[in-house]
Amino acid sequence: MSNDTDWLVGAGLALSAIAATAMLQPRPRTSPSPAPARLPPRTGPHPRASVRAARRLNRAAGMLAASVLADSSVEHYRGSFKNKAMVTPLAVSALTLAMSAHGTADRRPWAHRLRDGSYLLAAATGLIGTGFHVYNVTKKVGGFSWQNLFYGAPLGAPMAILLSGLLGFCSERVRDTSRARRPHVFGLPAARTIAAVTAAGLLGTSGEAGLLHFRGAFHNPFMAVPVTLPPLGAALLFNAAARDPDDDATRAHPLTRAWMWLLAAMGFIGIGFHAYGVSRNMGGWRNWSQNILAGPPLPAPPSFTGLALAGLAALGLMREHPDA
Amino acid sequence: MSVEMSDDPQATPRAIEGRAPDVFRPGGWVPMRCHRDEDAVDFVIVGTGAGGGTLACKLAEYGFSVVALDAGPYFRPLEDFASDESEQTKLYWTDDRISDGANPLQLGSNNSGKAVGGSTVHFAMVSLRFRPEWFKSRTLLGYGADWPIDWREMWNYYTEVEQALKISGPITYPWGPKRPRYPYRAHPLNAAARVLAKGCEALGVSWTETPLATLSAPRGLAHPCVYRGFCVAGCSTNAKQSALVTWIPRALAAGAEIRDLAMVGRIEVDDDDLVSGVHYHRGGRWHFQRARNVVVAGYAIETPRLLLNSATDRHRDGLANSSGLVGKNLMTQSNQAVWGLMDDEIRSYKGPPSLAITEHWNYQDKGKDFFGGYAYMSQGPLPQLWANTLAQARGLWGARLVEEMTNYNHVAGLKIVGEMLPQERNRVTLADEVDQYGLRIPRVTYSWCDNDRRLIDHSLAFMTRALEAAGAKDIWTQDDDTCHLNGTARMGDDPRASVVDADCRSWDIPNLWICDGSVFPTVGGVNPSLTIQAIACRTADRIRAMARRGELTGQRATGTRTAAHATSASS
Ligand SMILES: Cc1cc2nc3c(=O)[nH]c(=O)nc-3n(C[C@H](O)[C@H](O)[C@H](O)COP(=O)(O)OP(=O)(O)OC[C@H]3O[C@@H](n4cnc5c(N)ncnc54)[C@H](O)[C@@H]3O)c2cc1C
Ligand code: SF4
Repeated sequence: MSNDTDWLVGAGLALSAIAATAMLQPRPRTSPSPAPARLPPRTGPHPRASVRAARRLNRAAGMLAASVLADSSVEHYRGSFKNKAMVTPLAVSALTLAMSAHGTADRRPWAHRLRDGSYLLAAATGLIGTGFHVYNVTKKVGGFSWQNLFYGAPLGAPMAILLSGLLGFCSERVRDTSRARRPHVFGLPAARTIAAVTAAGLLGTSGEAGLLHFRGAFHNPFMAVPVTLPPLGAALLFNAAARDPDDDATRAHPLTRAWMWLLAAMGFIGIGFHAYGVSRNMGGWRNWSQNILAGPPLPAPPSFTGLALAGLAALGLMREHPDA
Repeated sequence: MSVEMSDDPQATPRAIEGRAPDVFRPGGWVPMRCHRDEDAVDFVIVGTGAGGGTLACKLAEYGFSVVALDAGPYFRPLEDFASDESEQTKLYWTDDRISDGANPLQLGSNNSGKAVGGSTVHFAMVSLRFRPEWFKSRTLLGYGADWPIDWREMWNYYTEVEQALKISGPITYPWGPKRPRYPYRAHPLNAAARVLAKGCEALGVSWTETPLATLSAPRGLAHPCVYRGFCVAGCSTNAKQSALVTWIPRALAAGAEIRDLAMVGRIEVDDDDLVSGVHYHRGGRWHFQRARNVVVAGYAIETPRLLLNSATDRHRDGLANSSGLVGKNLMTQSNQAVWGLMDDEIRSYKGPPSLAITEHWNYQDKGKDFFGGYAYMSQGPLPQLWANTLAQARGLWGARLVEEMTNYNHVAGLKIVGEMLPQERNRVTLADEVDQYGLRIPRVTYSWCDNDRRLIDHSLAFMTRALEAAGAKDIWTQDDDTCHLNGTARMGDDPRASVVDADCRSWDIPNLWICDGSVFPTVGGVNPSLTIQAIACRTADRIRAMARRGELTGQRATGTRTAAHATSASS
């Protein structure tokens, strides 16, 4: 137990440090009343397009955070919050969700210090959470085995909050650079970077669904859907990210956009399937308090929706900014 | 409408008037094809457990007309099973029997069931394959008797049964030749299983998740396991893939008739030395069902009892008994355990009782001073059983028993399923006393041999080390338990040394078959039900092949008997 407490303290310190650094970082340009005169001259397309993309990304990050909030609440409650650090993802995802809502409503073309800080915190939580989950799996008898991958702490789960943080952070960068000639993230073209991050996220999330659906022996043929559609979507997104930015003809990506809408819908329909899965446990929905814990996780599928929304935001930006 | 009068499945037959209970819906029914007693059906099957239930399904699916009778009730687990150990003793075969010998068997809960579905209704679901060499243990390993069946053929039938029961098992099995992936994934280990795993890792032997006949994901109307551990008292969720919820519904759908509360008292033999049907007791009186073939599948005590009770002037020693082996070579399996206390809470009763296993000593022959092998598994005794164990095996009573019971949540145990050797002196005979139907009751005589004892000693020493290595304290051994019943009508290649051939057909009477645990020449160190079901699947295939070649007409392919009964199998 003392071992676990050490972990907890260490993690808590690390998180506060990261958050503090992010928030204290000087940000002159985000002062509440910037004089229009100080704006750099417009060289690229209208900044509104970037802000729109940024808000879409906030929404996507919020979607993921909501999924994490619900999922980790249920799963960590199931684990009786045995380790105190298990409340962290709840708090962080709730904060990320609130910040994302704020960002979605915010039309101003510059990053927000608090949002930035909370997104970094989310990303760090994801990384540290993954560490916790790896530790949980490997310390069990049998170590890195199918048994522990199936039933130990899910290795992929904390990645969702990491992705939420990354997307949110990208969103702030897009806003921040909306008046530049091209929106960018650390100097990389924003739209294509976000598309690639989202594609990687889709692959990871699909891998997680694959592992858990394999645990369920793919007993229902529809369980194959989240392991086939998202990887195709990821391939399309990677393809979009790799396209020649100057080729006007290929910037619209209608198929990729349609595929993202398909994945967004899949995430929502997945809740329905999982609800059906819950009903197939002893006592069905009448026994909801047990079966929500025993059955497939209701909040898991919408993480695909969150990623698909991020993909759409990236594609939208790509269409409007040839160079993004 | 008159059938609604009483719905006590132990008092009034349920499967009558063209319908049978729907095990998946409380109060539900499914249609059932019915036969009249005077119409000879292709197959009458006595017993609907692992052997009879499986065979009834397969034969019906192959187009034969089938009536399967069981002395026990037809339960709907969802509504008839209580989470109460005492109530659930209704699943056991507790009719009068006499048990003697140097090591008399304790009959009832741990070895025989009486219900549609047989002992599988309250079995522990452990579903293991034989080690291939065991099918030729005399030739390859120097003990016991050879089976007349090749292991490679059995490997395919094992696969068929594993698929039919959606066995949940590990991704890779550490022992024996390659096997296909189990259809469902292994269940999560409970703390008791992790104790076994720790012990194995400390002693450097492999362990794995036990392949179990209980669902780790939904299947049709059957729910996945809820890990409440009532398995050996009957599973009320239908997660357990017993014959009652797997083979029997399939059999009904394929046109078989099941008759519950129908006790077969005698098999009729005609003047041509062929069987012509069975006398059975149902609804307060005796009936006679005509049949072209009779299959006996009443398990290793009731099967020989019925054959012996069916003696006639021409078959004075009972049916199918020219070898004199009916009732002989009864084999139980050693079921000794080592128990200890862990510092952490274990709550071993959470989940199916045997979630982890090591078959190390089934496959490792070095370092043994005995023939045969054993597997050992983690344990999860329910409270009443545990109190009984403490009272009987340790003589605790009163305040000491109560005190010891307060440690219940910290108990962890390891228990073997060990091979016992076939001995002719271990046997089922008829006593002079009669039961409630007026039938002579069986006398079951059992004595261990030296090899049995050496195996047990080896296992107890090894498991003690394993439990110590896992951190248990106050370790003690329970050294008198046994489980499972096999033998008493062994199969073989030689009519003088066996009762049935490889196809479960009796050597003496070509339309009399035996298809259950009785046909085992040896038991191996694994639980028997998967092998019984695999044998039944094979038997069905063989019967279909023989029917197609016209060899079921009361005549062996190589025999000299005159045909007396034609089989109308359509397939
Ligand atoms: C508590 C317990 C746990 C077990 N755990 C396991 C396990 O984990 N794994 C495993 O492989 N095996 C296990 N077994 C053993 C397994 O259940 C049996 O080996 C198997 O069911 C035997 O199959 P059978 O067809 O020979 O007989 P049964 O399944 O016992 O079926 C025989 C049926 O015949 C009926 N019958 C008998 N005589 C007559 C008659 N004269 N007329 C009408 N009906 C009759 C009986 O009512 C019974 O329903 C367990 C058994 C018990 C009791
Ligand atoms: S633990 Fe699983 S298999 Fe056993 S009785 Fe409960 S639901 Fe059935």
